[in-house]
Amino acid sequence: MATEDATAPAQQRQSQVRIHLHTKSGDIELPQDTGSILVSTELKRYQLSTLVNRLLETDKPLPLEFLINGQFLRTSLDEFLTKNGISAETTLSVEYVKALIPPIYSASYEHDDWISSVDVRSQRILSGSYDGLLRVWNMSSEVVGTGQSHTSSIKAAKFISPTQIASSGMDRTIRIWKYEDAQAAGAASLTPTLELYGHKASVDNIAVHGNSSRVLSASADHSIGLWSTKKAEAPAAPENLLPSANKRRKLSNAKQLPQRGPLSMLQGHQSQVGDVCFDEKDATVGYSASWDHSVKTWDLTTSTCVDTRTTAQSLFSICHLPESSLLATGTSARHITLIDPRASATTISAMTLRGHTNAVVSLARDPNTSYQMVSGSHDGTCRVWDIRSVRSEASDQVGESVYVIERDSAKGKRVVAGEGVKVFSVCWDKDVGIVSGSEDKQLQINSSKPSS
Amino acid sequence: MSQRAGQKRKVVEVPAPEVEEDADQLDLGALNGDFDGESEEDADEESEEDEDELEDDDELASDEIPSSEDEEEVRQQFQDMKTSNGHSKSAQSLMGSDTAKDVAAIATDTPITPLNSDDAADIPNYTVSTDANGNLRYIYGEIDPVYDSDDSDAVEPGNTIGNIPMSYYDAYPHIGYDINGRRIARPAKGEALDSLLDSIDIPEGWTGLTDPATGKPLELTSEQLETLKKLTRNETPGDGYDPYPDMVEWFTGKGKEEVMPLSAIPEPKRRFVPSAHEHKRVMKMVKAIREGRIKPYRAPLTEEEREREEEEQDFATYDVWATEQPREDHVMNIPAPKLPPPGYEESYHPPPEYLPDDEEKKTWEEQDDEDRDRDFLPRDHAALRKVPGYEQFVKEKFERCLDLYLAPRVRRSKLNIDPESLLPKLPDPAELKPFPTTNTTIMRGHEGKVRSISIDGSGKWVASGGDDGTVRVWEILTGRQLWRLKLSKDEAVNVVSWRPGNAESSILVACCGESIYFMVPQHELCTPEVDAKSREILDAGYGYAATAAPAQKTSAGADKPTAASWARTSATLQERGCLLSLTLRTTPKTLSWHRRGDYFSTVSPGSSSASATAIAIHTLSKHQTQYPRLRLRGLAQTTCFHPSKPLFFVATKVKVRIYDLQAQKMEKELLPGARWISDIALHPLGSNLIISSYDKRLLWHDLDLGATPYRVIRHHTKAIRAVAFHPGGLPLFADASDDGTLHILHGKVVGDSLENATIVPLKVLKGHRVVRELGVLGVEWHPREAWCVSAGADGTIRVWT
Repeated sequence: MATEDATAPAQQRQSQVRIHLHTKSGDIELPQDTGSILVSTELKRYQLSTLVNRLLETDKPLPLEFLINGQFLRTSLDEFLTKNGISAETTLSVEYVKALIPPIYSASYEHDDWISSVDVRSQRILSGSYDGLLRVWNMSSEVVGTGQSHTSSIKAAKFISPTQIASSGMDRTIRIWKYEDAQAAGAASLTPTLELYGHKASVDNIAVHGNSSRVLSASADHSIGLWSTKKAEAPAAPENLLPSANKRRKLSNAKQLPQRGPLSMLQGHQSQVGDVCFDEKDATVGYSASWDHSVKTWDLTTSTCVDTRTTAQSLFSICHLPESSLLATGTSARHITLIDPRASATTISAMTLRGHTNAVVSLARDPNTSYQMVSGSHDGTCRVWDIRSVRSEASDQVGESVYVIERDSAKGKRVVAGEGVKVFSVCWDKDVGIVSGSEDKQLQINSSKPSS
Repeated sequence: MSQRAGQKRKVVEVPAPEVEEDADQLDLGALNGDFDGESEEDADEESEEDEDELEDDDELASDEIPSSEDEEEVRQQFQDMKTSNGHSKSAQSLMGSDTAKDVAAIATDTPITPLNSDDAADIPNYTVSTDANGNLRYIYGEIDPVYDSDDSDAVEPGNTIGNIPMSYYDAYPHIGYDINGRRIARPAKGEALDSLLDSIDIPEGWTGLTDPATGKPLELTSEQLETLKKLTRNETPGDGYDPYPDMVEWFTGKGKEEVMPLSAIPEPKRRFVPSAHEHKRVMKMVKAIREGRIKPYRAPLTEEEREREEEEQDFATYDVWATEQPREDHVMNIPAPKLPPPGYEESYHPPPEYLPDDEEKKTWEEQDDEDRDRDFLPRDHAALRKVPGYEQFVKEKFERCLDLYLAPRVRRSKLNIDPESLLPKLPDPAELKPFPTTNTTIMRGHEGKVRSISIDGSGKWVASGGDDGTVRVWEILTGRQLWRLKLSKDEAVNVVSWRPGNAESSILVACCGESIYFMVPQHELCTPEVDAKSREILDAGYGYAATAAPAQKTSAGADKPTAASWARTSATLQERGCLLSLTLRTTPKTLSWHRRGDYFSTVSPGSSSASATAIAIHTLSKHQTQYPRLRLRGLAQTTCFHPSKPLFFVATKVKVRIYDLQAQKMEKELLPGARWISDIALHPLGSNLIISSYDKRLLWHDLDLGATPYRVIRHHTKAIRAVAFHPGGLPLFADASDDGTLHILHGKVVGDSLENATIVPLKVLKGHRVVRELGVLGVEWHPREAWCVSAGADGTIRVWT
């Protein structure tokens, strides 16, 4: 009834517009097609949301967002129409989606050095740092476990399973860790189990697939490594890449770890590989993004390159969006390009998401929906994107970010070239929210859940 | 005097002497010998002669008969007038009217040839005969009344019998006498039938009356009848009749006052005695003349004198066209603009269709002066004398003067070309992407200036050297410092440079002070394999000097084999990865590698170093140093090797010389025109060279074209320190300047020699702070991407993408 009270006086003096409500998600579809509804242009998102909730007859009001012509309604309908130059005479096609709660800053975990990589699995946050340490944090900002095995900066770290971790770094190795969880700070143990040799340069990113215990690595030596996390499965390490004897002697905690080599090295890129990922649906397919501007699709069973898509910029990060069959890649040209990797796709770039002001080096999917993702960039921000929020421009589909997450450490400061606040890694967990690691040595958590 | 019809009055008018009141005129005219002629003029005053035409002998007997003396006198007077006063008087005598006077007044000096003037004067108009008494009788001929004669009564001769009853002549066959005494015959009277017939067909103007004077039927024209009618009604006789004509002032008016003496008072004596006052004045003048104050005669002024006199007056005159040369008649020469002749609109009484109506008047008044199609509104005036003064007169004359003064005299053929179209067609910078636009990474760590940077062949690492004597290696993407080595406490690292070559080795060279250090950064940067390979390359030269010493002596530059010493570094440096050092006697400021990575040249431009050792070419594989004898004039600045040919480029302060290393001769000399060259960069294809100079100029040399630059670019406000071509095939080059900016330019070189290089400025990159007049000291390109790295005097290294 509140809606009617709000709209009734407005209708008398304000113009009205016809809207047609529809959605793509089946669970919140209207019981019967309402056709076009005449509503006041004074309405805002909240009133529209109430209206749809009444139509849906939900018990608990469900916050909804409204998309008109690929843009989220943030103002009143009237202002929206004026701003976009749409006539109030036309029937507006309004798509409603479940609302994305704005990510609210919740915590920062202090590190000793730049954080190169973050990952979250079952309430534990894994961070790899440039000081070569692997840390596992609990939700009360305590380090549960620390792992030290890398001889140089860690560049990537991922949970393979809640008990297994993979990490890689500038020491050209990938290490597999065994993790035994504990609640108290420092109680959990993090022990390296395997050293994987094979890359000739820094391993900048890894992708893991727990079920098949496969790891993909992206290295600066232009190659992609396919590794097994199982000691028995992996072949022997190549001798020439092992550290020399005198150097190994220097390591004080020189406990000889098993050293293994790659299942296969995928050669083909002309420059260093920025990022790799597995196909979310098919673990035998991998995608890689390289500084040589190309995205390659790999058949991992035969270790061959299936497809190459070349863009115009160096690519630093990649993320697979299986529902829309798109690959999101972060570029040096400060935007995210969505690439359709299927052979049937005619255009290379399906969509461009613009807004970042520096290289986009990390991408993560929204675990809840298949339309949203978060990106971390060297400009010191993370941005949340919705690929439904898109508009057509001259040559391209262009999208804009829904939310911008800034670094808590850089609040109110003017940052040039992302100095001191570059985000190196971002991860989106269902429970924890958006976790990002940055040059400011802070692991920042932004929760999408309403704070209770 | 009712019969004065035939009279002809001749008025001889002599213009009265003008009363000369002006002293100046007295100077000129009165003293010009005319002073004593005044009496003559007085005597020659106007006279009037009445000449009566006499008809009858009887009347001739009256006192009006002109005596021969009188006649002669009159004639004499005429002749005198002719001779003394010239043509004007003869004209007046002939015309004898106001007209003549006017003519004479208008043109006293212009010779007017009067019509028949001489003939009329010579042939007498009378014949002499004797009358009945034996006296001389003058019979006058008919006087031809000229058209302007006032003899209005000269009608055909009528009956002269006078006012007597006609019945007196009833018995005579004639009815009277005409003016010459001939009888006027009685008109024949027809029969009554005839007269009846006559009366039946009434001729025009028949009145039925008989003219008693002639006896003929009186015929009146319709005008005469009309006049009669009007007279009977006491109206004016006709249209043209003026009952009150203006009086003709024959004897009054200016100059005629004393034509008729109105009083008989004899002339007073004073009229004949020179006036004392005048005498006084004259004597004054005479005195002045004697003293030379007055020049009695003044010759008419020549043109020059008149001009000079005018110049002496206050106002200045300007002859705008004084220096103007006459132009030949040609279409390109425009005469001074002529005003169009006045039209109907300019008339004081224009036809009504030219008069503006109210609406036109209103629009004209509302219009701005500039917009009006004419400067005035046509106005109707009843008479010319009612036309008021033209209020725009001064303005109009001024504008006319401007027109005359400013109007072009020669038609110049002006090319109507859009200046935009003359600009070269430069592509839009947006089409020339990619090029660096923003600063993406800042690397901080150096204390003091960063003097040199270098990007390794893989494009992942940036090496830098600065004032703090350290060499640092950075990760290009994140800006993370990975490796650092302090080479010297007090001396700056002038140059850092990665050795070119494939990924199998990783050798960094740094010039610090007089030494050149060879380093293998011991880090994650290189695998053990690469590390070993690099050490091998550095160690290859050991022992070469000993084994090949004689060969070295004979080679060029053998004079100073000890000038450079190759040696292992200290153990601490060895531990940190610095393996080899080369010490020169001079401080090398630039270092450039040959593409194969075996040769490199250093330049020590310091004035202390001898010019012979300024440029050195080193062979890494032999640990050998040579000093080529180049005989340079001027301080060597920098060098570079040609990417494919055995050519060696040496830049001195003002010149760039190209040497052929194989033929050992100078190939070419470039004269860029810069005052002090700071850096040179060779295009990867080797056909174009960019020279940057401290005098703010960037000079593009096409080596195929000649010794002078193909293009000079002056965009910076301060000295340009460095310039670099993109090595990886992108058509980009960048320069670094002391104004704290980098300029990114597009420089496309086509292999085809027919087409010149296109140079488009793309972007100004701002960000570096200017510290003590120094801005950006070095610029380097990423080997593949359109990224560049700059070294700033503010201690930062910035990556631009």
